[in-house]
Amino acid sequence: MSDAVFELDDISVHYGYARALEGVSLRVGPGEVVALLGDNGAGKSTLLKVMSGAHRPTTGRMLVRGQPVEFRSPRDAATAGIEMVYQDLALVDAMDIAANLSLGREPLLRGPLGWLGFINRRAMRDQSQAELDALGVRTAPVNRSVEMLSGGQRQVVAIARSAARLPERGVLLMDEPTAALGHEQTELVEDLIRTLAAQGTSIVIVTHNLPLAFSVSHRTVVLNRGRKVADALTADCDGDSVVSWITGASVQLDAAR
Amino acid sequence: MTVATIASVHQIARGEKLPGRVRGLILVRDQGLLALFIVLVIVFAFWGAPHFFTLATGISVLNSAAIAGIYAAGVTVGVMTGVLDLSVPGTAALAGVVTGLLLQGGAPVPLALLAGLAIGCVVGLVNGLIAIRGFDPLIVTIAMLSALGGLSLLLANDYNISGLTQLQFMGTQTYLGIPAPVYIAVLVFAALTVFLRYTRTGMRLLAVGGGREAARRVGIEVNRYRVLGFMISGFCAALGGIVTTAYITTAVPSASVGIVFSAMTAVALAGVPFVGGRGSLPRVALGAVVVSTISAGLLLAKVPTDWSSIVTGALLVGGLGLNMWTTKTTSKLLLSGGRTAAAIGRAS
Repeated sequence: MSDAVFELDDISVHYGYARALEGVSLRVGPGEVVALLGDNGAGKSTLLKVMSGAHRPTTGRMLVRGQPVEFRSPRDAATAGIEMVYQDLALVDAMDIAANLSLGREPLLRGPLGWLGFINRRAMRDQSQAELDALGVRTAPVNRSVEMLSGGQRQVVAIARSAARLPERGVLLMDEPTAALGHEQTELVEDLIRTLAAQGTSIVIVTHNLPLAFSVSHRTVVLNRGRKVADALTADCDGDSVVSWITGASVQLDAAR
Repeated sequence: MTVATIASVHQIARGEKLPGRVRGLILVRDQGLLALFIVLVIVFAFWGAPHFFTLATGISVLNSAAIAGIYAAGVTVGVMTGVLDLSVPGTAALAGVVTGLLLQGGAPVPLALLAGLAIGCVVGLVNGLIAIRGFDPLIVTIAMLSALGGLSLLLANDYNISGLTQLQFMGTQTYLGIPAPVYIAVLVFAALTVFLRYTRTGMRLLAVGGGREAARRVGIEVNRYRVLGFMISGFCAALGGIVTTAYITTAVPSASVGIVFSAMTAVALAGVPFVGGRGSLPRVALGAVVVSTISAGLLLAKVPTDWSSIVTGALLVGGLGLNMWTTKTTSKLLLSGGRTAAAIGRAS
């Protein structure tokens, strides 16, 4: 696995005496979907924050496509090709889908009006439509405002927004992408994840939703009390062992090994 | 699982229109103010006859709406960025006093105007720079209101600065029968509307107001836009103060708090939610016209003037109520509509 897109090496995060993460290593290959599982307080969110640049690790190093990186902010992570889809989505409700997808990189008109900062609305819509089409999703007209969308559609818009900012072979981090969704909407998001992975995007999903983890991930990583207690191909995992890793029933076994 | 399934399960079909009742409600929400205005004009045309439905009254209503509207425009931009700027009356008083003092001292008119407007921008800048440090903007702007009121009284030595006839061209002067403040207000509203709707900076300003977290996460420098919102509000307040000074040829150094309340009334009547991120400036202009129509109409109908503020208060709550009702009903309808659409997709 020397061609790992994103590599964490011996990452620890200490808050004073509290140890949120202890020597966690993780490799994500191109187009690979990794499910990051663990009970509340196991360190999933902290690890996600380290990966997304929101939090600096106390020790350890990270490599993106073989290059060592140090993230001071989520912007640094984004520059390195790592985007995060937050659980709260953080969309601008009052704006339409196109505006939400283009926010921060709005196309301007050509010529003098563009120099004055005038937006090219048509280009914005076309570009957004193209981005949604590339992901194989059609949610609603791109000029529909986000507040009029269903939960699943919003999730799709949030994922598309992050995905559209990724470079070739980028990394997408997702925090509980299906937490607030019903069955059908969850399927929609699962399909979207598969599509993205098939296009070469590496994806790390933090979730409590085991069926989601089993249905989309290639590899399952389990954290328990800040340590990585399992890292296996999802195809080789069965539900019972994953649950016991999460609850910590087998931690002693691993430690004894 | 193919792409086609995704589309059919989830889509409310591309290009499909919103349900009819939703569109109806949105129409009520968006055009209710216009309907209210028309009703008011008709009522007062009879009740306030023979003086109300005349060109002279119309022009005077427009004129007072224009001055209130300039303030309201600034307050609106503040509200859209998620801030209620209460320092507006203080800024207006200080800008008027500084412009007045400069003119009295023999400074050229453009210089005096520029100085007054620059003060508005500086006040906004200071407000903004304090607020982004995490201070509650409401308290910051109240403090600013108090400080600026005191400062302008100090500068003016507690006296009104009168006889400022140099500013007549933007005060009492009429062009084609319409007073100068109306042109200024129209210009301000047009410029700000274009700015918010069609420029990148305007769009980001609205995004910061409506979804600060969203804006921050896509890499927008949120604080820069918050400060900009304060500066636009300060600029409009200063402009309003200068136009008022020009209109009454006197700079009044005491901050009149009523300004910000009539501006807020216009903003609320226009259905601009105070949580930020949305709202229509042209409708705020109409809101200002409605407020001044009510006071002029009641005056001409020989109703004691105190009633006009009572009526305005009642309208305000009524407007908010209507707004809440349409919003709630719309989302309820949309939710049930969404479920039906999904069900149809599943069946097909």
